[in-house]
Amino acid sequence: MQNEKLRIMTEIAMAVALSTVLSFLRLWRMPMGGSVNLEMLPILFVAFRHGGPAGIVTGLLHGTVQLIAGAYVVHPAQFLLDYPIAYGLLGIAGFFPIFAKDKTIKMKNFLFAFIIGGFGRLLSHVLAGVIFFAEFAPEGQNPWVYSLIYNLSHIIPALIIVGIVIVILFRQSGKVLIYNN
Amino acid sequence: MLKDITIGQYIPGDSFIHKLDARIKIIITIIMITVLFLIDSFIGFGLFLLFVIGVMVISKLPVKRVLNGLKPVFFLIIITLFLHMFLTRGGEVIWEWGFLRIEEEGLFTGLFMVGRILLLIMFTSLLTLTTSPLQLTDGIEYLLKPLARFGVPAGELAMMMTIALRFIPTLMEEAEKIMKAQKARGADFESGNIIERAKSLVPLLVPLFISAFRRADELALAMESRCYQGGTNRTRLNELELRRSDIYALIGVIIIAVLLSFR
Repeated sequence: MQNEKLRIMTEIAMAVALSTVLSFLRLWRMPMGGSVNLEMLPILFVAFRHGGPAGIVTGLLHGTVQLIAGAYVVHPAQFLLDYPIAYGLLGIAGFFPIFAKDKTIKMKNFLFAFIIGGFGRLLSHVLAGVIFFAEFAPEGQNPWVYSLIYNLSHIIPALIIVGIVIVILFRQSGKVLIYNN
Repeated sequence: MLKDITIGQYIPGDSFIHKLDARIKIIITIIMITVLFLIDSFIGFGLFLLFVIGVMVISKLPVKRVLNGLKPVFFLIIITLFLHMFLTRGGEVIWEWGFLRIEEEGLFTGLFMVGRILLLIMFTSLLTLTTSPLQLTDGIEYLLKPLARFGVPAGELAMMMTIALRFIPTLMEEAEKIMKAQKARGADFESGNIIERAKSLVPLLVPLFISAFRRADELALAMESRCYQGGTNRTRLNELELRRSDIYALIGVIIIAVLLSFR
């Protein structure tokens, strides 16, 4: 009998490496500087395979690797919210079961879990934006408004595009991807 | 697609800055970030910039690489500058056109905020430019250790990070190999719109995922057969060691920090 915890840990590590590799495969470069890639895929994958906590850890570590790989830090709280916490919150998708009894993926459940996870990530980016604009924008202006405008133009389109791509990929080969062993 | 990619921005070297202990460098970065939020004049920023340039010279970093780090925030900087220019009021009117008006105060605060952002990014990129990802991970692990008392498995987290960093080049190579193989069979990864391109990645993703998780499985088995028992009391190949120069550097930075923030 193999040590299950250790196997989950090595899978998380490998998923983080995979996310990083996929983050280099740019599908589309956003005009404002963001890029659309499939880095979220391995995180979701671990989340659905081993549950929420494992997904969150994968996200946290992926965020930290991104940070080490050269992220931009404009505020002490912003770097936590924009990197480890944002990806970590994506992992909450794993708290929602997506499999039917016959081990097929229920697309509706997957979509729900993915939207919750994506929303978690979005929330984190919005909060990071609020902190940034509260610090750097003119006083008396509402930082929430700016953060929403910034994210609406920047992160939300990227998330939606990636979301569509991931849903298509999952519909096509989700079963192969998750039950490979 | 995957050619010429290095993980992280680390530029190897053997300067004084490169050799500093990773923990000390992380602490110094945190101190200096705080200082940047306390500085309230352009003179302060000027002195800080001198400090940044000093570090760059000592560590022999190419200026271009440091400036490269500023690219992703270009958009943010523009937004910040324009917000202040058009919304912050006070002082003389510098420029007016219809309902748009730039006043002295707005221009200065805008430039001030932009200066702060630029310095923040330059300084934090110095850390990643002079410290290898592995050393950074070790440093983070040590600094998280006190949290183990509250149930944060710092050792395990660092172990996973280290494995991930170790396997990024391996998986990259693997991805490239699979891509070549699929191209030889007629796969097309580069044309079509974004959805088509994503779909075309399936023949890459499936084997890549399968081989990555097979590796994970084998790794777990190998670790277990060598009696891996978890984070506590684990020894490491390269221990981080605090040397006298590290302490001096820390004391020096604290003095500079105090001088800059309470000048």
